[in-house]
Amino acid sequence: MKLRPLLLAALFALLTSGTAAAADTAGIVKRLHGTVTLQRGGQPLPLAPGTAVQVGDRLVTGPDGAVGLTMADDTLLTAGPGSTLVISEFRFNSTTNEGNLLATLLKGTLNVVTGLIAKQTPQAVNVQTRNAVMGVRGTDFIVDARGDAP
Amino acid sequence: MKAALCLALLAGLLAGCAPLTERVILLPGAAGSSTGALSVKAARGEILLAEAYAQADVIGGEPVRLTSSAQAVQAAYGGLLAMRPPAPQRFVVNFELGGDKLTPDSEPVLDRLRAALAAIPGADLVVIGHTDRVGSVEANDRLSQQRAQTVRERLVAAGAAPERISVAGRGEREPAVATDDEVPEPRNRRVEIKLR
Repeated sequence: MKLRPLLLAALFALLTSGTAAAADTAGIVKRLHGTVTLQRGGQPLPLAPGTAVQVGDRLVTGPDGAVGLTMADDTLLTAGPGSTLVISEFRFNSTTNEGNLLATLLKGTLNVVTGLIAKQTPQAVNVQTRNAVMGVRGTDFIVDARGDAP
Repeated sequence: MKAALCLALLAGLLAGCAPLTERVILLPGAAGSSTGALSVKAARGEILLAEAYAQADVIGGEPVRLTSSAQAVQAAYGGLLAMRPPAPQRFVVNFELGGDKLTPDSEPVLDRLRAALAAIPGADLVVIGHTDRVGSVEANDRLSQQRAQTVRERLVAAGAAPERISVAGRGEREPAVATDDEVPEPRNRRVEIKLR
């Protein structure tokens, strides 16, 4: 009785999705400059090109730092110096291109080049700062979060 | 002086002397894609940016519409934009009828892919196999997966990190060229590779 759904699930996974190892990977670090730290569950983790980034991860760049990520749906997220970026939400189905992305820029600068999720469902891609929410209708943009004033 | 300036500004501007907290600039789309649009919503309003270099400054919770320029963006954010990861690159290789043997024309494509792969630190790859409509749907699901695995092995041999390659087979469901069932179509016997 239990075997059948399992088998179907395995077959479905085989046919439609990527490797199991990639399941938690929201994006991958592609470019690094200067001081950049990755914080996961409050712990700092080493960072190099190729490092996988997960939902909940916080990237902090120093005064000389910058980091460029390619998300699983081809969205490019690039944070400039003095930035704190949190990958708050990310889901992506590579078969249907459905999913959602919420990036939180607590401070600093962020460039977003939207990918497959925004092409499929533009309103599913959002960037929030302390005082504003940017709702994508499909495209390339910069957000510069300067102050903490509410 | 500052207070006086503030009062003077207050007289003319409802926004007063609240600090600029966010600046948002819509950039032109990459070649071939549209500029799109972006809504900027804050406590005291929402505006839609829809033209290249349209800018919103959030001042005291209110988004204010302004216009930037290519020069201003380059001056303020050129360093940021220079750190963007490369756009994904796409490659297609083709297969002989009914199996996982690559066509001779596909070898130079793999050579180009190897060179591109070597130039990207931390590269990841998405490999998706397809078939034409000769044979059953089930057999084509297996064959498409087998073709994708063949390409995966070639990529690993070329130095790609195995854990950074995702592989899928779509069978005959996503043809490059629509055909009737049981029609051999070389363009549909393919593996698509995305390099990021």
